[in-house]
Amino acid sequence: MKILIVDDDPINRTILQRLLGKEGHEVFTAVNGRDGVEQFGLHQPDLVLLDIRMPMMNGYEAAQEIKRIHAGRFTPIIFLTAVTDEEGLVQCIDAGGDDFLTKPFNRTILQAKISAMERIRRLHARLSAQKEELEQHQERLHQELEVGQHIFANIVRSGNLLDAPCLNHWTVPMTLFNGDLLVASYNPAGGLHIMLGDFTGHGLSAAVAAMPVADIFYEMTAQGFSIGDLAEAMNVKLLSIMPRRMFCAGCLIEVDHRQKSLNIWNGGLPDVLVIDGSGRLAHRVVSTRMPLGIAPMTREDRKVEILEMHPDYRVFLFSDGVTEATNAEGQMYGCERLEAHFDGSHAPETLFQAILDDLEAFRGDARQSDDVSLLEIVCDRASQEPRESGRGRQHAAIAPTPWQASFFFSAQTLKSVDPLPTIINAVMNLQAPIGHRERLYTILAELFSNALDHGLLKLDTRTKKTPAGFIQYYTQREERLARLEAGSIRIDLGHVPRPEDPETGAPGGGEIHIAIEDSGAGFELEQIHSQLSGNLGHGGRGIALLRSLCHSLEYHGRGNRAEAIYRWSL
Amino acid sequence: MSGTIHVTRNDKETIIGVKGRFNFEMHSQFRAAYQSDAGDDNQGRRFVIDLAGTEYIDSSALGMLLLLREEAGANESDIEIINTRPEIRKILETANFQRLFKIA
Repeated sequence: MKILIVDDDPINRTILQRLLGKEGHEVFTAVNGRDGVEQFGLHQPDLVLLDIRMPMMNGYEAAQEIKRIHAGRFTPIIFLTAVTDEEGLVQCIDAGGDDFLTKPFNRTILQAKISAMERIRRLHARLSAQKEELEQHQERLHQELEVGQHIFANIVRSGNLLDAPCLNHWTVPMTLFNGDLLVASYNPAGGLHIMLGDFTGHGLSAAVAAMPVADIFYEMTAQGFSIGDLAEAMNVKLLSIMPRRMFCAGCLIEVDHRQKSLNIWNGGLPDVLVIDGSGRLAHRVVSTRMPLGIAPMTREDRKVEILEMHPDYRVFLFSDGVTEATNAEGQMYGCERLEAHFDGSHAPETLFQAILDDLEAFRGDARQSDDVSLLEIVCDRASQEPRESGRGRQHAAIAPTPWQASFFFSAQTLKSVDPLPTIINAVMNLQAPIGHRERLYTILAELFSNALDHGLLKLDTRTKKTPAGFIQYYTQREERLARLEAGSIRIDLGHVPRPEDPETGAPGGGEIHIAIEDSGAGFELEQIHSQLSGNLGHGGRGIALLRSLCHSLEYHGRGNRAEAIYRWSL
Repeated sequence: MSGTIHVTRNDKETIIGVKGRFNFEMHSQFRAAYQSDAGDDNQGRRFVIDLAGTEYIDSSALGMLLLLREEAGANESDIEIINTRPEIRKILETANFQRLFKIA
C-alpha cells in the first residue's frame, strides 16, 4: 500500500516511515501542507497521514485541497493530532478527514486504523468500478434501443399512413417504442387498408411483436388479400410467437372508394365511431371479435362489418390510451367526454383537432401512462390519389416470353378461398410487368366477381341502389355463396410477347389475354351491358371501368364467357 | 398505485378478490394467488374472480386472466368472473372475454 506522510516534524516523519516501512508499505513524505498536495499528485498514494499544524498550508486546508483536486477517487485521510477536544476532532472530519490518530502514536492502533481504511478504500474502488460498468451498460443499451427504434419506425412506417389524403393521425408513444401499431397501405385495387393494433404492455416487448404484424399487413395487402384474411394470418402468427398473457387488440378497416364501402373488423379496440356531415354519430362499430393472439379464429371470426360509405362520413378510430388518459386527480378521460364532441355543435372538419385539444387540456401535466393513438378517416377524400407513391414491392424486370396458364375452380373451392391473390401473384412472378399490377388486378377482380356474383350467384346489382339494398346485397351474396353446391369458374390466361417496333422505336412488351367463363345461365347479350353498367350506379365499378383499362373486351357464348386483352409496354 | 388481492379457498373452489387497480403491478400477486391451485393435480377446481372492489382493469390484467385460464386447463377450465361493474364489464366485453369466461 502506498502511504503519504505529511508532517513538518522530522522526528515524527522518521518514526512513522520506519514503522510503516517495516509493515511492507511503500512510504512517501512531505514537509508541509503545500508539499503534501504536490506529493499526492506525484505518487497517487492509497492513504494519507496528515499533521494539522504546519507552515505554508495547514492540514485542514491540505485535506480540502486534495479532496477537491482528486474528487473522482477515494483516498482515505487520517489526521495526526495532539488535540483531543471534541471540537478539534469534528473539524478534522469536516475538512474531509476520514479518521484521526492522536499523538503519541500507538503502533497497534495505527495498524488497525490503516487496515480499516484499506477495507473502505477497496469497497469504494469496487463500487466505483461497478458504477462505471453500469453506466457503460446503460449507454450501450440506450444506443441499441435507438438503433432498434430507427429500424422499427422504418418497418412500421413503410406504408401509406402519411401520404393517404383521407387520413389524419396522432400517436404518442409512452416510451421509446410504441405499443400501438398504426399502419395503412393501398391494396392492388386502390382500396386503402388501415390497422390500429394495441399490444398488451408497452415498449420493446410490444414493438417486437408488432413487427411481424406490420410485415403481414403490408405483404398481404399488396397481394390483394382481404382484411379478414389479414386478421386470420396475424392471429396465427401471434398465437405462435407471443406468451399467453400477451395479445393485440386490433381493428382493421378497408376503405373501398370504388364499392363505396367501409369494411371493418374490430377485435378488442374501443368502438369505431362514424360521424356524419352534421357532426353527429351515424354508426358505432363495436368489437365483436376477440383480440388477436388469444385463440384460433373460426369462419365467423373472419367476417367483417360492411357499411355503406357516404362522402360526408368521418371515421374515428382510437386506442384505449385516449379514453383512459388520466389527469392529476386520477380521473379518466372516458368515452362520454370523447363522444360529447359528436353532439352536432362542432363543424365536422374541426372535430379531430377539438378532441386532441380537449384531451390535452384534460390531462394537464399528468404523466402519460399508456400509448395514445387517434385516427380520422375523411371519406370525402378516399378517392384522391396518394400524395406520393408508397414503397411498392419491387419486381425485377423479366423479358416478355410466351406462356399460358389455366385455372378451374369448383363451387367447393369458391366457397372456401378467394383465388385472386394467388392468380395475380402467379402472373407477377411469371411476367412481372412493373407498374401494371394494380390494373391487372382490377381487371381480373372485376371479371371474376362478375362471373361469381352474377353468373353463379345470380345477384342483381340493382339491389345496391338503395342504402338498405346495399347491405342486403352483401348479405344475399354471403348466403348464396354458402349454399352454392354446383357450378364452376374457369380462367385462361395467356401472354403474347410483342417485340420492339424497329421503325417507330415503340418499346416492346406484351399482351395478356384473359378469358373467364362461368357455368351459369349467362345473360341476354343486351342485358349484360345494362346489368354491368348497373354497377356504376352505386359501386362505380363495372364495365366502363373494364373498358377503360383493357385494349379489348368481348362477351361470348350465352354471355357467360368474357374475353379481355390487356396490353403493356416495357 | 396498485390494488390488493384476497384469496379464500375450499376443496372445490378458489375465490380471488381484487381490490383497487387491477393492473400490471399485480402480476406476481395474482399469479401467486392461483398458482398452487392450478395444475394437473387440481383438475375440476373452480376459480372465481371477484371484481367487486376493482376500480380499474387494464390489458395486462386481461392477460393475467388468460394466463390463469391456460394454467387451469384452457378449454377445460372453470372460471367465473363475478361482481363486474358496468365499466369493467364493458372492457371485458370489448375483448369478447365472455367467450372464454363466465361473466356475471
